[in-house]
Amino acid sequence: MNKQGDIAIIGIGVTKFGELFHQSYDDLVRDAALQAVSDAQISMDEIGAAWLSTAFPEIGVFKGRSGMDLSEPLSLYNIPVTRVSNFCASGADAIRNAVNALRAGECDVAMALGVEKLRDRQPQDSIVKMMVEYGHPFLQKGFTAAGTFAVYANRMMHEFGVNREDISAISVKNHFHGSMNEKAHHRKACSLEDVMASPMVANPLTVMDSCPTTDGAACVIMVRAEDVDKNKHKPIFVQGIGLSVSTGWDMPFFDPNHDFLSFEATRTAAKSAYKQAGITNPIEEIDLIEVHDCFSIVELITYEDLGLCKKGESKDLIRGKETQLGGKIPVNVSGGLLSCGHPVGATGIRMVVEVSNHLRKNAGERQVKNAKRGLTHNIGGPGAIASVIILSNEN
Amino acid sequence: MSFIKSYNIAFPHFRVEDNILHPKGKKGIMKAVCFPDEDIITLAFEAASGIPKENIDGIFFASSSPVFHNRYHASFLADLLNLSQGILALDFLNSTRSGTDALLVANDLIDLGKYKNILVISTDVDFPGIGKEISTPFGHAACALLLSNEKGIAEITSAKSFSASLSEEFSYKGNYIQNDPRFSRDAGFKTNLAAALKDFTSNPKSYDAVILNSLYARMAGVIFAKKGFEEKQFAKDMLVSKIGNTGSTHALLLLVNELENEKKNILVADYTNGTNFLEVKATSFVENKILHEQLNNYDLVKSYQDYLLLRKAGNFNSVKYKTKEMFSSEMMQEREKRTLLYLKGLKCDECGSVYYLKSVRCKKCKCDKFSDVQLSRDGTVYAFTNEHYFPASFPPITMTVIDLEGGGRMTVQQTDTMYPEKNKMEIGSKVKLVLRKMIENDAKPNYFWKAKQL
Repeated sequence: MNKQGDIAIIGIGVTKFGELFHQSYDDLVRDAALQAVSDAQISMDEIGAAWLSTAFPEIGVFKGRSGMDLSEPLSLYNIPVTRVSNFCASGADAIRNAVNALRAGECDVAMALGVEKLRDRQPQDSIVKMMVEYGHPFLQKGFTAAGTFAVYANRMMHEFGVNREDISAISVKNHFHGSMNEKAHHRKACSLEDVMASPMVANPLTVMDSCPTTDGAACVIMVRAEDVDKNKHKPIFVQGIGLSVSTGWDMPFFDPNHDFLSFEATRTAAKSAYKQAGITNPIEEIDLIEVHDCFSIVELITYEDLGLCKKGESKDLIRGKETQLGGKIPVNVSGGLLSCGHPVGATGIRMVVEVSNHLRKNAGERQVKNAKRGLTHNIGGPGAIASVIILSNEN
Repeated sequence: MSFIKSYNIAFPHFRVEDNILHPKGKKGIMKAVCFPDEDIITLAFEAASGIPKENIDGIFFASSSPVFHNRYHASFLADLLNLSQGILALDFLNSTRSGTDALLVANDLIDLGKYKNILVISTDVDFPGIGKEISTPFGHAACALLLSNEKGIAEITSAKSFSASLSEEFSYKGNYIQNDPRFSRDAGFKTNLAAALKDFTSNPKSYDAVILNSLYARMAGVIFAKKGFEEKQFAKDMLVSKIGNTGSTHALLLLVNELENEKKNILVADYTNGTNFLEVKATSFVENKILHEQLNNYDLVKSYQDYLLLRKAGNFNSVKYKTKEMFSSEMMQEREKRTLLYLKGLKCDECGSVYYLKSVRCKKCKCDKFSDVQLSRDGTVYAFTNEHYFPASFPPITMTVIDLEGGGRMTVQQTDTMYPEKNKMEIGSKVKLVLRKMIENDAKPNYFWKAKQL
């Protein structure tokens, strides 16, 4: 069944990403939701169902454990609201659920909202603490998030001749892009030396190869394509949406056949999304991509997993500046997670908002010229779950 | 009478020299010291895991530095070693003589025909007070001996324990007590030893090695001479300058040392508030000289600061992160010990993939038929990284993805990595899995596998 373009995004909203000490979890929900509702030119009560994406309620403020944490700040009651949790793919999964509900006819207007409040604690109290104190006491104990991806980096360097400069060049590119994004957490361009000389986190990844812990929220409002009001809306159509759980939390590190050179979840999610969108040659058929660059190495691996190049050739794309703004296929023109930051539940939706802005020709200084079709990608858990969404300004 | 069927030794990897411990200490005089993730349990496990486990019907644990109260170290180790439940498991605690105590009792029980194979493990891990490292004897080690009614490398031909009422130095309610040495050594050590010697030895000239393990050994010469021993018969303690005085383990190590020196007729006298005598006859030469080999395999601690970190007296959290307590669960450890502890894996009947973690369907070929397989403790590094932000005494923690010999993959921490320039991991490095503590703050007894570079 080809459902290409049957669902449209009519409202988008995203908060400033950063250390938002002045905004609570509820404030962030309101901020993103009201922007999206206003953009869609609807009233809040037209929303028939909503999905709330928060990955780590226990790290932040114990908010986000259920759908009610969306309803309460918005006074949006008496509709179904579901909390979605799928690690870094949570935001994309909220969108997927909303899309399917619209297709099933459960509602006519659906909201997907992602929010994460990580900075009400010190950074080392959040992500590092989680890995040190919780989880299985033995399996993988000793890893931080950075380390789980650093082993991939070391295999990439060993197998494919990737060097540290290639990995750090991703961070340089994304920080350059981020300098043009007023909503990014860090808005400062940097040099290769800056990245490589910053403190080592997990060899070969440095602090600047790692995304910051950030507060933020993002929201989209969606309807079926036939309900789009051409006079009011600048619709963005969902052409493909793929989500795949392809391994587990512990499995990759105990799987005798895993090569640490690729994420099967990304490949599977992309295959599904490409099929829905009718894409056969992604590098030619897609105009911009938002990739889940939680650590710079992940973007490099994802070039290959998304089929932008052959296995082992991702280094050539970054060396040739093909993925920079103005290159053949700009990747992370928002600044990516490295520059925008990574409020986990919000990131996937933030990417969809970013791509939508480009497809609406509304991205300002960093606008990708003639962008017609874009892709967003998330991976989490740390490499188990991936989502790929393909968006277009045509249906 | 019983036989020493096999033995194994475990020393920590690191040694600290006396001149590091104190400005007046001598360079070249060393003590074996535990890495922060080692303790009597891990050393005992390492020593015991070199012993064949078939038909063991008793396990004795000896130490003057126990870590449990109301929990049997012997039972705890029996569980770690996957010995049968319900065997005789006894602790011999609190005295530096407990090593030979355990050996003596094991020998008697086998002699009586009650038991066939008793595993005797002795270990001590104790640090003296800060600043007292030179004046207080210490050194960390473990020795495991399998006593059997079947012929082995040596035979215990005679053994007896002689109690003494007087003790020279001891502790009482946590306080260190030392009697007037002139009085107590005269009425204690000398009197006890003289009486015991008279009773035990009828033919002094028959021994080609006499081991006297005591803090007052040098005062014993006259007593032995009176009984007809000659100076050249005495086996000098060559271990104390290399690993320190290892407490309850020391007498056993000295015995093993003489067996490896290919001595035939050995007399062991182990004195602490009484004397244990053992007469040991070697029945064959020891081919694999484990003790001698291990004595030469070590790295030195470079500074007193590092030594303090090693004994967890310093701030081991390099990243200003105070770890409280890592989540752990007795229920989970009990439930999953086949996998976690005993390294029992599953091999896919179809494609042969070996899984360490429980699996009902092969990830590669989707086959649902598996066979049990014992995973190896030897492996090769497939991938790794150095974690600079995970709390550790000696950061970074190196995480290693290991392909085990014969199949199976595990991801574990590297251990014994005090100095980053040493033991540097690379893809392809050969490693061995060793059982170590997972929490450095000693909050709970949590033991799991870590990788030691070969």
